[in-house]
Amino acid sequence: MPPTDFDAIVVGSGMTGGWAAKELTELGLRTLVLEAGRPISPEQDYVEHKPPWEMPFRGLGDRRTTAERQAIQSHSVTFDELSHVFWTDDVKNPYSTPADRPFYWFRARQVGGKSIIWGRQVYRWSDLDFGANLRDGIAVDWPIRYADVAPWYDRVERFIGVSGQKEGLAHLPDGEFLPPMALNCAEQHVRQRMQERFGRERLLTIGRVANLTVAHNGRAPCHYCGPCHRGCITRSYFSSVNATLPAARATGRLTLRPFSIVKTLVFDGRSNRVTGVRIVDAQTREEREYTARVVFLCASALESARILLNSGVANSSGQVGRNIMDHIKWGGASGQLDGWTDRREIGERPNGIYVPRFRNVTSRHPDFIRGYGFQGAAGRSGWEAALRAPGIGRAFKERLSQLGPWTMSFWGFGEMLPREQNRATLHPTLVDAWGIPSLHIDCRWSDNELAIHRDMNVAAAELLEAAGATQIEPSTSGPSTPGGTNHEMGTARMGRDPRTSVLNGWNQTWDVPNLFVTDGAAMTSSGCQNPSLTYMALTARACHYAVERLKRGEL
Amino acid sequence: MQRRELIQWLVATAGLSAVETLTPADLLAFGREVHRRPVSRTSARALSAHAAETVTVAAERILPATDTPGATDAGVTPFIEKMLADWHTPEERARFVAGLQDLDTRCRAHASRDFVDCSEADQVAVLNALDAEAAGRRDHWFGRLKYLTVYGYCTSEVGQRALGLWPQPWRYDGCAPLDATH
Repeated sequence: MPPTDFDAIVVGSGMTGGWAAKELTELGLRTLVLEAGRPISPEQDYVEHKPPWEMPFRGLGDRRTTAERQAIQSHSVTFDELSHVFWTDDVKNPYSTPADRPFYWFRARQVGGKSIIWGRQVYRWSDLDFGANLRDGIAVDWPIRYADVAPWYDRVERFIGVSGQKEGLAHLPDGEFLPPMALNCAEQHVRQRMQERFGRERLLTIGRVANLTVAHNGRAPCHYCGPCHRGCITRSYFSSVNATLPAARATGRLTLRPFSIVKTLVFDGRSNRVTGVRIVDAQTREEREYTARVVFLCASALESARILLNSGVANSSGQVGRNIMDHIKWGGASGQLDGWTDRREIGERPNGIYVPRFRNVTSRHPDFIRGYGFQGAAGRSGWEAALRAPGIGRAFKERLSQLGPWTMSFWGFGEMLPREQNRATLHPTLVDAWGIPSLHIDCRWSDNELAIHRDMNVAAAELLEAAGATQIEPSTSGPSTPGGTNHEMGTARMGRDPRTSVLNGWNQTWDVPNLFVTDGAAMTSSGCQNPSLTYMALTARACHYAVERLKRGEL
Repeated sequence: MQRRELIQWLVATAGLSAVETLTPADLLAFGREVHRRPVSRTSARALSAHAAETVTVAAERILPATDTPGATDAGVTPFIEKMLADWHTPEERARFVAGLQDLDTRCRAHASRDFVDCSEADQVAVLNALDAEAAGRRDHWFGRLKYLTVYGYCTSEVGQRALGLWPQPWRYDGCAPLDATH
């Protein structure tokens, strides 16, 4: 085999790219990580400690520029006046959808990718999830089960640091947790009352979150300042910038090249291998190629699918770009709880509560298959409640420092079924600012997701009723826009059969043995849990597999 | 170099490579130090001097100085001008300016002088009437003035300190007594 520039190329430096970089370099591979966006320097780019009065619009955002340049990105829940720099420019990065079926494609191009701005909620899957497609006769079966992934969940959790409470649930396995964050007084009450009413069927636990509650692997514990999505100078939450990339750098085998947009893979038909990638330099627009023995796509589900489609490789199944999934949300309810008027929260807990899935776990719901989990929190409103309150003068001003009653809210995250029709294809004419063909995305909820969304309101109201809440208000929101939960996945799914799936059970493309896809594209079903932990575990697992094969000369 | 000096130096020079050598305790101290960085202010002109004065007086009547600072102390008017200049649409701005003019018209009919020249009692009376008018209406100019006044006050340094929201507590307690200090 001719010498290559690197042993491995990793496309993307975020949630999964950082893990691939860490594992591959630690296993001895000289690894090139290609990042489409700019470098990140925490001391310059992290702005979580900027007080509101230092922002020109005090946190309300630059409305005009946002409308012009980030009309889509601004729908993300962690997009704000400061964090907007961590999302892409919609004008430079266009895509299309059918006029009546919007899809929000949230994209982050900088070192760290979306791991800087993620929600940090991390939940294991179980065989309720990995066995779901087989059980329901839907799409294709996962080629793996919980036992295959469990040791990799352990490995990832130990490294990134996850705070959480063990609950002993079979369908939401416990992990390697750091001490949990505290429930506030109202949440403790709701947990207790739910236990009395529902036993262990519907359980409220503190969120499992990739924020440190104690010092861990050289990173400082959380100091509860609040806006994690603007960065974290103390490195108290997991991002690739905060943890995996420094670990990879420490091996001396990492080369990180920002401003490197991968245009295509370079495929050699004679050997049936990818020999490397062709990039466009985002600043100079010059093209160049890099070669390596193995390539990992970690560019995010839709971006990795776009690279595969633009390269015309690994798609003998015709499944690349299909089966787009997200999680449906905006169903739920809130209600008031009497009591604890002499108590309040101090500090900004970067975490809420979690109610693990309870539908279709031990019983069968008549309206839908699969289920949803609730996230949420209890709290007391502060001065924001005065923005539209009546009155002026001294008495009105006193309202600013008065806290409202404790209010408990639940909002659901529901599983989406894989459907071939939910599909991204190459747009025939639309290109991005670098001339690379863009995607056309056609994705909609099915009746099953819409039934799940409706049930969220019903069940959340039941939880609040059990808790003794008053003024219970079900959500009046319709379903979220597909893509809007930022959990897009499924566009190069794993399977057991090369005719119906893109990847085998090791995230290896069936068609091209030295090409791996380990981001959300690999997902065969969506579960209802926040997916990043599973992406990271699958990435670490695939890296070890690939290196073992490389060392045996089998790739 | 003492640890404290190192941290201050890091804050001043933003040295990336050095941060990777810090211990968790140093990182936490570094994070706290960053919170003390100096403050910059912004301003923009969207109102005439008279209109700006009208806003200042009205905002002070909405959130007067009491045992805690008021809207003027918190610099609410420059914030409102910034929002009018660079955030609101031309239509929203025109409606707001027309509202300020209407305020003077009402005051001249009621007390034969502009709003800013009225007695405090007259000012409060006309603003109370407007407040009742604006109740439940999202498009009323007075609702916008009040929203911007409250928002500007509560997000100012003066307001954040007065409300006990700044400096931040550096810890989480989910069930703290109301009067707990950080």
